[in-house]
Amino acid sequence: MVAKYVMLADTTRCINCKACEVACRAEWDTPLGYSRDWVKEVEYVNAKGLPEVQLFPGRCQHCDDPPCVEVCPSGASWKRDDGIVLVDHAICSGCELCVPACPYEARWLNPVTNTISKCTFCQPRIDKGLQPACVETCVGRALIFGDANDPNSEVSQLLKAKEWQKLVTDEVNIGPNHYYYTAGKAIPDTVMPKLNERHLSGTLMENIVNPLGTLGIGGMMAVFLGAGIKKLIDRRQDVSNKEVSHEQH
Amino acid sequence: MSSTKPTIKVRTKDVIAIHWFNAFFWLTLVLTGFGIISGDFVRLAPAFWPTFLQNLLGGNANLVLLHGIGGMVWAGVIGVYALLNFKRVVLPFLKNVLVLTPKAAIADVSSMVITLAHLFGLLKHKSVPPQGRYNGAQRLLGTMIIACSLAIAVTGMYLFLSPMLLDFAGSAGVLGGVFRWALVIHLAAVLLVLLGLVAHIYFAVVEEPESLETMKSGEAEVAFIKHHNPLWYAELEREGKV
Ligand code: SF4
Ligand code: SF4
Repeated sequence: MVAKYVMLADTTRCINCKACEVACRAEWDTPLGYSRDWVKEVEYVNAKGLPEVQLFPGRCQHCDDPPCVEVCPSGASWKRDDGIVLVDHAICSGCELCVPACPYEARWLNPVTNTISKCTFCQPRIDKGLQPACVETCVGRALIFGDANDPNSEVSQLLKAKEWQKLVTDEVNIGPNHYYYTAGKAIPDTVMPKLNERHLSGTLMENIVNPLGTLGIGGMMAVFLGAGIKKLIDRRQDVSNKEVSHEQH
Repeated sequence: MSSTKPTIKVRTKDVIAIHWFNAFFWLTLVLTGFGIISGDFVRLAPAFWPTFLQNLLGGNANLVLLHGIGGMVWAGVIGVYALLNFKRVVLPFLKNVLVLTPKAAIADVSSMVITLAHLFGLLKHKSVPPQGRYNGAQRLLGTMIIACSLAIAVTGMYLFLSPMLLDFAGSAGVLGGVFRWALVIHLAAVLLVLLGLVAHIYFAVVEEPESLETMKSGEAEVAFIKHHNPLWYAELEREGKV
């Protein structure tokens, strides 16, 4: 069976040391100020009136139904059979149509390569049988990565053993493959995915230019097919009329 | 021409060659272009087409390269040809087909509507006004193709070259924004031309195969011109060509 890679983040074990982020930046040599993963720190006052902090390590969620792939005009964004969403840098134009399409803010334009950067679950390492750099470096063992289709994998066991949550809302439910354990605490709104305003040009292309163009060309073809058929019928009628008048003479 | 009816030379070999060059490149560029656009939201061809073409060519990068180079050859050859033959071919052609005033556009649209209605046996009582070398529909199509081809060439060049040559990330989103709008214009212009081409091909193949013949041999039947393009026939008569 094909693998289905997932990432688990046990927020109760995260200590916000940012070792994952440092490892990711080193692994992917991201420019200063940019990172493919992050740790979101949410402070709030709990029901007992006490201050509390929750930590959410995050990255591309390698969604089952990724809008970033659907809007990419060039096919540079694509999804492997094992669920890993990748960007082909040889084709990516840097048009950024995919950036607002991602509700997890996981994509950014790399100023060095001029193409889109995002977490790949460290695909080259996975293909060699290694763990992603962030997982390998996580000092609290808060990050666990593996194949959810393998019943013996650690992630499969953990998914069965604990109550995991996904970052989904009524508005955004695109099948993320990143799970969070919060020991039953609700996930704060600030961490939840949000629909971004798309680029006007992309919306125009998707909702007006392409449908109108397809309809128009289809309509023209139907009209001229109709005209062709009518011409054929008229010709047949002409021929039979001539035959009839010929017989009458 | 197989017919023995009197004919007249109305097209030179180079014009015929550039027409078929244009047609061949259009076909290739449309097929490859529709193969590049893969995303579900923006795709124009059924999903199997990009997959098939990309597999055939060993990936989308090769397809983009082929489309980009093909586009530049298309625009380059036509551009150079137009420059070298501006007075002899381009200027008379532009004079004949460009629809620039609203009055001319209205007249051409109305003659196009009547022509189309006649195909379905409608508006029989209305006759198409006498036509010159090009009829209303051809003039509208010609104007649209010229405008769209320029737009396609310019935007296509930007789409192909800008990611390689320009610093999108360093331009505060401006160059990327231009890229996205160039994509919209490129697509819209291609779709507009395709719309017109459906009619163009139908008329050439089904309704007036004589015109298709002219685009192969360069010869047109005098009787055909007299019947279909009386204003042009009068012009040829004045020039002593018929
Ligand atoms: S998280 Fe964003 S970038 Fe990653 S697959 Fe989902 S939509 Fe795409
Ligand atoms: S920027 Fe995003 S949408 Fe544009 S080509 Fe690259 S991956 Fe595709």
